[in-house]
Amino acid sequence: MSYELGVEQKMLKESARDFFSKEMNSALIRELEEDEKGYSPKIWKKMAKIGWMGLNVPEEYDGAAATFADLAAILEEMGHAGYAGPFFSTVVLGSSLLLKGGSEAQKEALLPKLAQGNHLLTLAYAGQAEPIAAADLPLQATAKEDGYVLNGVSLFVPFAHVADTIICAARIGSSAEEVSLFLVPKGTAGVAVQELQTMAADKQCEVVFDQVRLSRENLLGTAGSGWPVLQAVLREAAVAKCAEMVGGARKVLKLTVDYAKKREQFGRPIGSFQAIQHHCADMLTYLDTSALITHATCVQLAAGIPCDKQVSMCKSWVSEANRRLVGLGHQVMGGFGFMEEADLQIYYRRAKAAEQAYGDVARHREIVAAELGL
Amino acid sequence: MKIPLNQEEQQVLDEVRRFFAQEITPELLEESHHLEYIYGGEEGRKFVQKFAPKGWLTPCWPKEYGGLETSEMLMYAIRNEMAYHRVPIHFAGAHMAGPSILRYGTEEMKKEYLPRLATGEIEFALGYSEPAAGSDLMALEMHAADKGDHFLVNGQKTFNTHAHVADYHWLAVRTNLEGPKHKGISILIVDLKNTPGITVRPMITMAGTRTNEVFYDNVKVPRRNLVGEVNSGFKYIMAALDFERMFPWGHYKKYFEEILAYTKTATRNGKPLAKDPLIRQKLAEHATELEVIHHLYFNLAHLLDNGKIPNYQASMEKNFLSEFEQRLSNTAMEILGPMGQLKTGSKHAVLEGFPEWLYRWTIIETIYGGSAEIQRNIMAQRGLGLPRA
Ligand SMILES: Cc1cc2nc3c(=O)[nH]c(=O)nc-3n(C[C@H](O)[C@H](O)[C@H](O)COP(=O)(O)OP(=O)(O)OC[C@H]3O[C@@H](n4cnc5c(N)ncnc54)[C@H](O)[C@@H]3O)c2cc1C
Repeated sequence: MSYELGVEQKMLKESARDFFSKEMNSALIRELEEDEKGYSPKIWKKMAKIGWMGLNVPEEYDGAAATFADLAAILEEMGHAGYAGPFFSTVVLGSSLLLKGGSEAQKEALLPKLAQGNHLLTLAYAGQAEPIAAADLPLQATAKEDGYVLNGVSLFVPFAHVADTIICAARIGSSAEEVSLFLVPKGTAGVAVQELQTMAADKQCEVVFDQVRLSRENLLGTAGSGWPVLQAVLREAAVAKCAEMVGGARKVLKLTVDYAKKREQFGRPIGSFQAIQHHCADMLTYLDTSALITHATCVQLAAGIPCDKQVSMCKSWVSEANRRLVGLGHQVMGGFGFMEEADLQIYYRRAKAAEQAYGDVARHREIVAAELGL
Repeated sequence: MKIPLNQEEQQVLDEVRRFFAQEITPELLEESHHLEYIYGGEEGRKFVQKFAPKGWLTPCWPKEYGGLETSEMLMYAIRNEMAYHRVPIHFAGAHMAGPSILRYGTEEMKKEYLPRLATGEIEFALGYSEPAAGSDLMALEMHAADKGDHFLVNGQKTFNTHAHVADYHWLAVRTNLEGPKHKGISILIVDLKNTPGITVRPMITMAGTRTNEVFYDNVKVPRRNLVGEVNSGFKYIMAALDFERMFPWGHYKKYFEEILAYTKTATRNGKPLAKDPLIRQKLAEHATELEVIHHLYFNLAHLLDNGKIPNYQASMEKNFLSEFEQRLSNTAMEILGPMGQLKTGSKHAVLEGFPEWLYRWTIIETIYGGSAEIQRNIMAQRGLGLPRA
């Protein structure tokens, strides 16, 4: 493993940074937080045209066959720019679920559309907390002669309100072998989607399943094969969130240092005060360590090396470091950072949402502890 | 996480590991610990001189001076392996003064010292700090009067750790009393064992280890022992300090593993310690911090191998590691409870009494080699371009 990004990742990253610096801005971020859809279809189309939706899709389904590390390079820029939209749910969750769990026919039917940006996906699996075992999954499936009936309430489903297909994890019993994944097309009878009002205004939804009848064709892959696929995708999702957080952290450090160089008190820039410098030095440490561990973990995931412990170390470290970093940013920026008009507050709210997504710090430390043989 | 080495280098590292597994004796470990892992003791010299001639102490040096011309990455890997095995790891000569001689010394000086440093035959002591010059190294006062073919040195140093076991002093002196302070400093190499007028006195630390104060009373140092240019010493000190700051961390990886193993076997109030949720969270946190340190450390080698000189990154590694050591030491004491206070050799001592010693020792790690505050200044000013006060 090298500590340098590959040539292709560097190029991807630069083009993504270019793209978002043209397309995103502070006003738009705020607008989208209020927007019903929560994203800009115009930007979405442009992203699709560049080929980002099909980034991790193999060439045979019209994708770019890029690695997870390439995908992370773009996610980092999204985090940096404050991008909001169904990219994470469609690409990191959706296409990865299809690739890992779908039948050939399902891949052929959905991946090309997805790669072109014409099909939005998401994943419903959590209830009021991150499921640790199969028995925690909130959705219940009952087998019938001609298929299944699903019941239950899944929460925190990103961009479910605009998804063309919701992939959901449901259990027939309480063991891992009784978990299946289902493709639930938009408009399926008995499915009700409602947006939740969240701190980060990030379009996490409630999806209620009330006597939802699904045929066997709706099974993603085969019955009972869902749990390991779900786990594999959630591991990637955790690291993908880290990549977003690294981007956000980089932006916050830049905002903070720029401010510290300009803002004057007692006749000199506050950045010349040692207390402020030390806060900034700590922020730099949180950023660099997060970037290093995320990069290393992405490389392992991309190479297909088993790395559960590594993933959990990464997610717990970056979540914690990012939260501390943004907190220090607030300390440095004083009252101004507390104002709605300061972009810092956007990153503060999103840092917490990212920390809680796909396993929080305590959850991932528990995984590390188990991996240590404790 | 694996260290990024090429195949040949990986073979060298494997060979080093095999060698350590065979050659480390209880006597070596005892002396090494007693000297807080500095090089220069009798057992340490015996051990190091068995493997250093293979080029393992200075693998990234040029072959003509005793290296193997490998990457820095291998050097970092071997040093960390040494730390992990708790053999001497602080080489003021091979790893601090040596790289500076390599960079700034004359050909004659390189030939004189580098091969002997590479084989472990000689060791240096770093002579920077003085009573009035700690963090503010520029304030140093030890005077070296230019007498043409030699310098006449007078004054006092404090905290010169290797001075009682080393062969040479890497001595920072004032050679110009006028002008800006940092433009009047030079570096001299002084033969500590054969030069009249030098007195070395012990200063004992709260960890029971020894450092020294060193007095120079009309000491004659030949001019050819001047490193680089006269009055340019501050630059060399800063460079050598950057090398000093690249702290291996294997020692603490080992300690972590020992604590981990302990919690798996010990019980408290009838329950295994390993099942205590607080302990699980804490140890997972420390395992994660060790992983972060792994990357901070080997990234320094990566930078060097790519022609860059780490500056703020070295400060970051030093701070992150040294602050971690204090957290880990405290966690160990919390897990062990009253047993943690038992010293090496005491009845009932656990983990060979390391916990209480490390709890005392790690206090200095955020102070020497440039305090945590100084490192943060460097990160803010060199790393982020924030203005000086
Ligand atoms: C066990 C041990 C071994 C050592 N080994 C060696 C050796 O081999 N060779 C050698 O030359 N020296 C050695 N030292 C000296 C060591 O490098 C110094 O102790 C260290 O640089 C700090 O200097 P000081 O102790 O005088 O503390 P001070 O400089 O007096 O610092 C006291 C406090 O003030 C803070 N402070 C000082 N300046 C600033 C500033 N600009 N901004 C913010 N805070 C500041 C410090 O961070 C610290 O918290 C050793 C010291 C010890 C204790």
